[in-house]
Amino acid sequence: MSAAPMPVAVNTFREAVRDRVLYNLVFFALLMIGAAILVGQISIGIERLVIVNLGLSAISLFGLVMAIFIGVGLVSKEIEKRTLYSLLAKPIRRWEFLVGKYAGLVLTLAVNTSFMTLGLAAALFYVGRPFVKTDALILVAVYFILLELALVTALSLFFSCFSTPMLSTLFTLGIYITGVFAGEIREFGEFTKSPALRVVTKVLYYLVPNFHNFNAIAAAAHGETIPLSLVAQNTLYAALYVALLLVAASAVFSNRNLK
Amino acid sequence: MKHGNPARAVWTAVVATPLLFAAIAALQMRIDSQTRSAAQEKDELLLRSPAVIKKMSLGYDALLADVYWTRAVQYFGARFGTKGATYELLWPLLDISTTLDPKLIVAYRFGAVFLSERGTGPGRADLAVPLVKRGIAANPDEWRLNIDLGFLYYWRLKDYPASADALYEGSKKPGAPPWMAVMAARVAQKGGSLDTSRMIWSGIYESNRDPNIRAQALRTIQGLKAEEDEVQLDALAAEYQKRFGRLPASVNDLRSAGLLAAISVDPLGYPYVFGPDGKAALNPDSPVIIPKEMSSPSTLSH
Repeated sequence: MSAAPMPVAVNTFREAVRDRVLYNLVFFALLMIGAAILVGQISIGIERLVIVNLGLSAISLFGLVMAIFIGVGLVSKEIEKRTLYSLLAKPIRRWEFLVGKYAGLVLTLAVNTSFMTLGLAAALFYVGRPFVKTDALILVAVYFILLELALVTALSLFFSCFSTPMLSTLFTLGIYITGVFAGEIREFGEFTKSPALRVVTKVLYYLVPNFHNFNAIAAAAHGETIPLSLVAQNTLYAALYVALLLVAASAVFSNRNLK
Repeated sequence: MKHGNPARAVWTAVVATPLLFAAIAALQMRIDSQTRSAAQEKDELLLRSPAVIKKMSLGYDALLADVYWTRAVQYFGARFGTKGATYELLWPLLDISTTLDPKLIVAYRFGAVFLSERGTGPGRADLAVPLVKRGIAANPDEWRLNIDLGFLYYWRLKDYPASADALYEGSKKPGAPPWMAVMAARVAQKGGSLDTSRMIWSGIYESNRDPNIRAQALRTIQGLKAEEDEVQLDALAAEYQKRFGRLPASVNDLRSAGLLAAISVDPLGYPYVFGPDGKAALNPDSPVIIPKEMSSPSTLSH
């Protein structure tokens, strides 16, 4: 594989780090984790649960906001600022540009998520609980969140290749919510008596990204075992979906008239 | 465009910000006193269907469960101890919490305590039992829930066979303490006796880590022990009367007659006293409280 996407990725990461919105998000995530400590004081017996649940939910929610709102601007911002033209004049193919942009944002999200995970660990440490073996499951849940964010980033990048940032945001959010309800869509088909509708809902179930796969927050909070096979399958699922979206995005972007 | 003095702008902001915040807070207080809407809002549940709330949580169901459980704790805490308090939202809040997170053990355990609490509590053991049963179904290895179920049947509903069944089922689970099976057998054999009740409360004490529950269990255990002592002292007083033709005036009389080896004291070290009717009672200075529910004569059989 060509090394051309690498400078684009590094540049995207640098640009995101310079972005003040990014810092604000980290700040708010840490604030939420701090709030978890206070919430633990007004309830009974769930101090650790609240910290883990709120911390992981904050990591997921803030990551999602970043993946969508920064992701939809990855291409359009370059077009708007006219920096894309000077970039494409260099020996870099359009798909390489897209992959670089994608990798840059995923790197940003990974770094951001790592800091938030450290914040979560600090919050757990603050409540005076020694770390136990099952805490490693929190890292698995964080990894699943990262997979989810990688998929959402690919979705927003795909839409941003042919649509405005506003519409791309709506499309990405729409697909995300549909993906969260994938199970319900399938159930709905099973309840109906129409064979055609049953087929349609079944196809839709396999077509939309199933974001429910990546939800291990409750399992991590309760110290339930997450099988290694599920980790491998989720990784493969996300990788295949991301590959599919990047291929589709490259196809659209390569044929887009930028004049 | 004119550029003003930047330092002046900063100072204006430093002075104006707290003043404006103070004005906003004062205004909010006035609005609150007029509308009282905030207080009413607290007592409402916009959505009561746990299934709908779970779907609408968009995957953040575990966090939402914590929020609803905290609301349940606050809801109960705000009412408990108030005469005439009603608890119509307690069950929906617990129902939602445990549907959102079926592994939230604390909601089943404390929820059952809240629901079944008598006096100024809701006194709804009929709802506490299905709540704990639901918890057992969702967490089949959690033997502590069987202790809670056994306790509810024993203490609140006086259904001793059901209590023994719940304890026996729990005793078969991995990690269950050996005394659970003994307790089950004891309840089946001598349900309602004081020493069996004490054993049940000891189980609650042993299986809980919460300091409030443990303190309550310890107080009840001490009360039950005192009640047992009183029954024994009453028997000795009857024996004393048979021998001397009069009632004992104090535990000293029993000791002098050779019926007691030492002065009998309650679990906190206060000597028992005898009333004019010759019945043993707790020392008025003793903080020990005999639980009301087991005091009926029918439950004093050993």
